Formats: sequence, structure tokens, C-alpha cells
Amino acid sequence: MDLESRDQPLIDVQSGMIDRRIFSDEEIFEKEMERVFDKSWLFVGHESLIPKNGDYFLSQAGREPVVVTRDSKGEVNVLLNVCTHRGMPVCRYDRGNAKRFTCPYHGWTFSNNGELKGVPLNKEGYEGKLDRSRWGMIRARVARYYGSIWATFDESAPSFDDALGDMAFWLREFMMGPDGEDDGLEAAEGILKFEIPSNWKFGAENTAGDLYHDVSHNSVQRVGISLTGLRTRHVWNADKNTFRTLNVTFPAGGHAVRANLYDTPNREYFSQWSQNPEADAYFRDAHYARQKRLGEKERLLNRGGVVFPNFAYNSANRTSASVWVPRAAGRTEVWKWVFLPKNAPQVVKDTMRNYLLRYAGPAGMVEQDDFENWHSAQVGSESVAAERLPMNYQLHLGHAKWAWPEAWIGEGALVDEGVSEHAQRVFYDRWNEMMTGKPRVFRREAAE
Amino acid sequence: MTTQSSEAATSPGDAAPPPPSTLRERVADFLAYEGELLDERQFERWLELLDEDVSYWMPVVRNFEHRRPDDEYTRKDKDAAWFDEGKQTLMQRIKQIQGGDHWAEEPLSRTTHMTTNIRIVSATESEITVKCKFLLYVNRREEEVRLFVGKRTDVLQPHGDSFLIKKRSIFLDQSKMLFKNLTTFF
Repeated sequence: MDLESRDQPLIDVQSGMIDRRIFSDEEIFEKEMERVFDKSWLFVGHESLIPKNGDYFLSQAGREPVVVTRDSKGEVNVLLNVCTHRGMPVCRYDRGNAKRFTCPYHGWTFSNNGELKGVPLNKEGYEGKLDRSRWGMIRARVARYYGSIWATFDESAPSFDDALGDMAFWLREFMMGPDGEDDGLEAAEGILKFEIPSNWKFGAENTAGDLYHDVSHNSVQRVGISLTGLRTRHVWNADKNTFRTLNVTFPAGGHAVRANLYDTPNREYFSQWSQNPEADAYFRDAHYARQKRLGEKERLLNRGGVVFPNFAYNSANRTSASVWVPRAAGRTEVWKWVFLPKNAPQVVKDTMRNYLLRYAGPAGMVEQDDFENWHSAQVGSESVAAERLPMNYQLHLGHAKWAWPEAWIGEGALVDEGVSEHAQRVFYDRWNEMMTGKPRVFRREAAE
Repeated sequence: MTTQSSEAATSPGDAAPPPPSTLRERVADFLAYEGELLDERQFERWLELLDEDVSYWMPVVRNFEHRRPDDEYTRKDKDAAWFDEGKQTLMQRIKQIQGGDHWAEEPLSRTTHMTTNIRIVSATESEITVKCKFLLYVNRREEEVRLFVGKRTDVLQPHGDSFLIKKRSIFLDQSKMLFKNLTTFF
């Protein structure tokens, strides 16, 4: 598939049409690995999983297997889990503590910061001339952001902060405790890893902002899994204060957030965990503490979003994240991370953990229906007959405004209100820019 | 119990089989019966076999280093898990499946539960601990197949002629879940 010279573009965000082949074509998929994933900062984990020197866990930087370590000096490293001699993964345990990793094949040994320390037959075979400094494990650039760990193997990629842009507020807010304390989360032990037979972008575009898909979740709404005492899946449905629903996007980076902007500053707390009084008392205090810490931005409720390309989070007391690990055009591995408020009483952590495990992942009463639907959507993207018509992304087209409805939301923010596919159009605009090199449609300078 | 369990499968005129006599036979019969209820989608009747304070738990499995065997399974009440349920939340899951709008189970999957290698580990008057292996085949829509194989440890409590399940721990032989959804009871 020649992406540059096609008559019909794959992505036409101005008319809201997207070619189905971006979900099913293996050549496009391989180009995504080089042009999108290899050039982007990717979430690989959280520091709470490696508290001690020598601690490590396995992760995925997109399709690339990595080992995330806290080395003997306390520094965080993200190392490609590939022996530089013959390509074996040098670490084969999901987590542990080690000073060094020895490749099971020929015994090359690397320290926990990736340096090559031991080579069998070093004198006899290499005459002592092997340049060990050149053959250490391949190291990623690492960014630590309020507990979260990000990596890229691309030396020319912009800094993590530049790539994040005005999305920074939202990612930082996600990593806060419910009381607005920075670096306030810890990852629960046990990453849920599972596989969906669909393209990775179905998950990404859904989390970026698909408020249209509520019908997917009728069944869980009917049953009700939040501890509000209401039949709903979200605790914030119990908050009776009025708000505007916003699709906040950051086109330069392709990031997007779903948010509520409450009409009244310093709104009162409505009981959101009434089925568990101890948890409710904690969240009441946290609500007011957060208002003090966040200033004017306390009117925002961060419901969830995407850090482009493959980090999707849910917040608003549903602190979990999915990393879409692309395996093939029609095959995505999901790594689901559950986060708990680090400094909360144990009863609050237990309540949150149980709620989140019933919400998210393969046994999650909410997300099961998403996975089923993305699997089914893959069928339509592999249909040759259906290729005659692109997918439709026209919902609420052409209404987004820059730095709106409040200027403090950021100059780089392009915002649409209500049920809209705006965030998905922005996601694919950025995707198209990285894939083809053509300029984005959504540019601040183009609008002025 | 035996008469009840064979309601759906027994044709009129069949002679009732002899009742199981040993504890092991009664336990094996009970495990077969509850699997049959799930396969016949009689979820409420299955739920009646669970104690009010049942603990139903399936930990996440990890690839662990030989000197760290405790790493294999996530910890109950502390870590993430595939399932960590009580009777109330299992009932919610059943209600979700029964509404006709839970797309992950609409249309309903076909399941076959098998339990084998049943061994009574300990038995007192009030509590019987049973280990078994399970094989659960799920077929969904046309081509989707999920094969779950693993070990189970159940704690049963004698209840009239039958038993109540007080505790079920499910150890699946998969680290990465090879499927997209866990919509089936074990």
C-alpha cells in the first residue's frame, strides 16, 4: 500500500471518512510500527512496581519487549529484552529482583542497567578485544512522570514534555490521588494481559472519545456496579451538579480527553460511594482537598483519554489503564493496569480494587462488551465488499473551538462539546501526519 | 440431588440410578451437577449452591523465577485477579447475562464443563476440601473457541443431602489470557 500517492486518501478528517484498510492491511500495520510506534513515547509501567534497587518487571514498548529495572544505583532503565549477541530475551520472568541478566543461549551477562559484564571465552574467543561498551543491551530514552514510566528508542523524537504538550495537565491529574496529591497512585500487583482479535486503533479511538457508544453498556447500567446505590457503572453519576460534556483534544500530539466541566466552582460533594460509608468518607474529604490543590481547574472532571498512540486511561475514580500492544493488523494484546490511591486506608483500596476488577478487563462487566464489539468491528474492516464505502466519523463534525470554553484549558486544546466523534478525527489526523508526513488538518495556525 | 440433576437429560421411564454412597461419590456427583446447571444455563439454580459468604477467586498467573515460587499467583485480597467475587456480585453477573443486551454473551455461548481427578484433601463434619482439574470448552457464535484448563480447590459444606460451596479457588494454566473475555463461570 503506497500511502503517499493514493488518489483517495486513507484519512479524510474534514469530511469524516476513514478507509477501512487502516484496520486490516498488514502493510499499513508494519508501517505503523516504524512510523508511529517507533517514533512515539510509550507507556511501559509505574515506579511502584519496582520500589527496591534491582527490582524489575517485563513490559512492552509497543511491539518491542522490554525489561524495566531499578538498577543498583536506583535509576530507572528501560532495556530492550533482546540479547545483543543472538537475540534471545535475556529476562524470562514477569517480575523479580536481579543484579544481572544472563542470556540462556550463550551466556552473555548484562547488569541491571544493561551494561555487558560477562562474555564466555572472552580471552580465548575474542582475544579480549570485544568492545563491551558497544554491546550492552539496547537502552530506551526514559521519562518519569509522576510515577508513570515512558520510553522511546528514537533518539530524534522530541522530549516527553514536548510530545505531551498541554495534555500534561490531564496525565498529571490522572496520576494524582483522588485528593489531588501528585504521584498519588500505586499499581496493583498483577497486570491483566489478554488478547482481542481486532486492530489496536479500535480501542484507542474508543478511549479517545466515543460518548456515542453508550448502547454498548446497557446491560451493566441496568445491573449497576458502582457503589452509589444507583443503577449505573460510574460513581460520578451520583454527583447532581450540572456540567458540560467536553471532548478535549490536543491535535499537535494526537492526545484526547473526555471531561466534565462543572458549571459551579467549588461544588459540593454528593455521596458517590454510599454503599461503603468508610470509602464515602474518604472520597468526601478527597473531593474538597482536590478543590484546594487544583485551583480554577477543579471544575474539570477528568473521565479518561488517550496519550497517543496506545496509552488509554480511565479516571474519575476508575483509575486503570490499557496499553494496546499491536501484534498484527487484526490482533491486539491488551495490558491492563489497575491503579489504587497510594495513601488511602486499606478499606478504600480494597473497595476500589474490587470495583475496578468488575469494571475492566476480560472479566469486567463494562469492558467485556467493548471487546466483543471491537472484535466484531474487525469483521467489517476485513470485508472487501465493504471497502467500497469508508467508515463514517461524521458525528458532530465542524463545531470544535480552540482554547475553549475557558482559555486556561490551554492554547493547544481543540474542544468540542457533547456527543461527538471529534476526538477520533483528531486521533486519525495525527496518525495520518505520522504515517504520510502530510501536515495535519487541525492546526492552530491554519485556523487563524 | 441425583433425580434433580438428571431432570433435563433423563427421558420418562428411565429408572432412577442408585444414589451415590461414599463421600467421594457424592462430591463427584455434586461437581458434575453444578457444571451441568451452568451448561444448561440454569444460573439461578447454580447460584443456590453457593454459600451466602462464598469466596470465588481466580488469581492472575505469572512466569516466575525458580527461587521465587510465591510469585506464581497474585495474592487474594491484595492484588489484581481475574475474579474476586462474592454471591452478590456473581448474581449481578448472572443478571447481566440474562437481559439479552449483554453483547459479550448475546447470543449465549455454548459451554461444556468437565471436572476430573477429584480428590478429597480433608473432611470434617462441617467442611470438605476438594481438589480437581477442570476443562471448560466455550464456543461462541461461529468460530470463536476458548479452552480453559486448570486446577480448582473447593471448600464444600454439607447441606442436607447435598453441599454448599463456601470457597472456590481457580488456578488457570494461562499467564496471558489467550482470549478476549471471561464471561463464563468456573
